[in-house]
Amino acid sequence: MVDYARVQKELVECNRDKDISGVSIELDNGDDLSHLSGRITGPIASPYEGGIFQIDIRLPGGYPFEPPKMQFITKVWHPNISSQNGAICLDILKDQWSPALTLKTALLSLQALLSSPEPDDPQDAVVAQQYLRDYPTFVGTARYWTDTFAKRASVGTEEKVQKLVEMGFPEVLVRKTLDIVGGDENLALEKLCTG
Amino acid sequence: MSDFTYLSSSDDDDNYNYSDYKQHEDEDDDEDEEELHDGFENDDDDEWNTSSSSSSSQVITKESLLAAQREDLRRVMDMLNLSEQHARTLLIHHRWDVQKVLAVLVEKGKDRLYAEAGVTVLDRKCLTSQSSSEVTCIICMEDISVEEVTEMDCGHCFCNNCWTEHFIVKINEGQSRRIRCMAHKCHAVCDEAVIRNLVSARDPDLAERFERFLLESYIEDNRMVKWCPSVPHCGNAIRVEDDQYCEVECTCGKQFCFGCSSEAHSPCSCLMWELWTKKCKDESETVNWMTAHTKPCPKCHKPVEKNGGCNLVSCICGQPFCWLCGGATGRDHTWTSISGHSCGRYKEDQNQKAERAKRDLYRYMHYHNRYKAHIDSFKLESKLKESTQNKISILEGKDTTLRDFSWVTNGLYRLFRSRRVLSYSYAFAYYMFGDDLFRDEMTKAEREIKQNLFEDQQQQLESNVEKLSKYLGENYELYDKGKVMEIRMQVINLSVITDKLCKKMYECIENDLLGSLQLATHNIAPYKSKGVEKASEFPIWSTKANIADSHDLTHNTKIDGVTVESNGPSGTQNNESGSSTRKHTNNGSGGSSKKQRADYESGCSTRKRGRREPHGDGLFDLNLPAEVLDKS
Ligand SMILES: [Zn+2]
Ligand SMILES: [Zn+2]
Ligand SMILES: [Zn+2]
Ligand SMILES: [Zn+2]
Ligand SMILES: [Zn+2]
Ligand SMILES: [Zn+2]
Ligand SMILES: [Zn+2]
Repeated sequence: MVDYARVQKELVECNRDKDISGVSIELDNGDDLSHLSGRITGPIASPYEGGIFQIDIRLPGGYPFEPPKMQFITKVWHPNISSQNGAICLDILKDQWSPALTLKTALLSLQALLSSPEPDDPQDAVVAQQYLRDYPTFVGTARYWTDTFAKRASVGTEEKVQKLVEMGFPEVLVRKTLDIVGGDENLALEKLCTG
Repeated sequence: MSDFTYLSSSDDDDNYNYSDYKQHEDEDDDEDEEELHDGFENDDDDEWNTSSSSSSSQVITKESLLAAQREDLRRVMDMLNLSEQHARTLLIHHRWDVQKVLAVLVEKGKDRLYAEAGVTVLDRKCLTSQSSSEVTCIICMEDISVEEVTEMDCGHCFCNNCWTEHFIVKINEGQSRRIRCMAHKCHAVCDEAVIRNLVSARDPDLAERFERFLLESYIEDNRMVKWCPSVPHCGNAIRVEDDQYCEVECTCGKQFCFGCSSEAHSPCSCLMWELWTKKCKDESETVNWMTAHTKPCPKCHKPVEKNGGCNLVSCICGQPFCWLCGGATGRDHTWTSISGHSCGRYKEDQNQKAERAKRDLYRYMHYHNRYKAHIDSFKLESKLKESTQNKISILEGKDTTLRDFSWVTNGLYRLFRSRRVLSYSYAFAYYMFGDDLFRDEMTKAEREIKQNLFEDQQQQLESNVEKLSKYLGENYELYDKGKVMEIRMQVINLSVITDKLCKKMYECIENDLLGSLQLATHNIAPYKSKGVEKASEFPIWSTKANIADSHDLTHNTKIDGVTVESNGPSGTQNNESGSSTRKHTNNGSGGSSKKQRADYESGCSTRKRGRREPHGDGLFDLNLPAEVLDKS
């Protein structure tokens, strides 16, 4: 059902200039083209600068005529993104989706959303209130979350990932597990072993 | 349960028989039971039989749906010199309100009107005629031959496959009425002819559904049109002309309030009626009251009501007991203790609250009992239909000088009509003079004045209706001619009087009771002497000509063939076939009708009715619901 030919092309096209655009897409689950994993780098001059944010992407059967489902895997403090589960409030992922948009444009929109939140249409009311009433605290919290959750991937995690992958676990699973346990290598190993 | 009747026997006026009430509740389970038809003929009396054209409402069948829709489309097409699809887009956007389209045109201008609705009127159909033979469709990211791409009016061009996919997704999402262009941020609504062609090539069934959605938009997105609420659904919809607050009858016989789609309920407003039916269904109030106000006697276990302030109560069996703990006691008591027991809870508590609840319930019972009594009478009187036929045939056989019996049939109609008004008037009064709706709108004194005014009229109507009922119930077929003529005189007089009184009551409600209120708006369907108006059938044939002279004949015939069946509000339509054989009266000059109807007086008609008779071949058609007839 999903137009896989298009998805293939989208992947190639998106990853071609990922160093410039700051967004990329990978397969999340073997050959399954309907389950992808996106990454965006935190925009410069925002509290998310320096972070790498992982986004779970699921393509519904009607893609691209139905919008892709996207959700932050990396925890993020942002008025339009749930601090609980990473759900995103963005019009183009809902009724404003157009088949002429692509996964790349959607990820770029997310990146833009990180730069300029829309607190009047919040996904996370707590964050939105803080953003509106106490902006400095908001910036502090967002930055702290970025440092805590979005940076380990680029600093220490790659080594941990490599180590665990060498032990025979699939990379995607390793990354996910590391995310879940907050980057603790031993806890991740324990979890991977117990399944 | 029957023990309970003695409870309120102290107050005759408010006497409340619990078991009766219970029974009523049981009956309520059968929804149709309470549906009343007053059984007037609307459109077959010569004196106001400009016939169907006199109705201000019309029945739209699945056959006439297209024609009805086209009428409005025409007006917009002619007004703005637009194609049909653009006119449809505009009308869908404005909920088929032609006046609104006009208003927006005047207020905001053509461009804004079009832009807001997603209409793009452009004549630049040559963008794709470039030199190259292939274009890249940015949706599927393929190079496609120019033969296989389509450009919309907005100038956006994609391949046919992608368009088709897009249309299919949108139709399945139920968005047929405004499928937008695929380009990001383009608000143009897609050309319905393109949708039709592309989708039917892939999925003819879906294309048919698309057509149906477009057609039914006329009903579902339209303030002035409603589905007939009959179950199983007759397949019809009703269109009203200018007053949404009216009562109509579909050609299937279903009578309903156009405002809320429930049974016709004037002089109650829709809100009052909704509250009232909910209240009648809600037995819990009684149950609550029972628990709050009665306690079983510790000796004989009959429920006993607390009377007066102190907490020592006595059962009629003679047993005194403590209201608070229910325990048996002696007789001697003070305000703080009862001899023979000590529960420590003996004090004045919650008396006021309990008293209030009791007052409220009694008040409801007062109105409900009368409401119910008139409905019961109505059901009993509906038996008069058959017995009246017998009486008439006996009289006809007996005396050849008595030829005209229209006074009997008219009298019966009047009786049914008035009964109905009377019963609903009690639900109206319950809310009009209660605390639920208008407490802040009237002072106590004002309310009292209004209530007296209304109750005077109600009582007058009531006594005349009872008299009418009495005369019509007499065995006049056994009387001599002089006596029959006397009864005839009475029936004719009483018919005229009750009609006038009903009319007066509606006027009183509109002008004296509701008219002065500021905050709440309660629209009451106007009183019609002849009962609920039968909607006329929307003429197909006259507009068929328009279809022919409009464009694209082939496609129109296709729409005509669309079956509306499995659709409709409940999805349980059961269409009668062969409706094409119905007669269609041309809806020529309306207008005069309302006046005529208002001038109509009962008892004046001297013509017998010769209308199709759904319930056997009687002399007249009371058009009662089958279940009422079956009961009788
Ligand atoms: Zn395409
Ligand atoms: Zn467009
Ligand atoms: Zn009907
Ligand atoms: Zn209503
Ligand atoms: Zn007793
Ligand atoms: Zn006492
Ligand atoms: Zn006690």
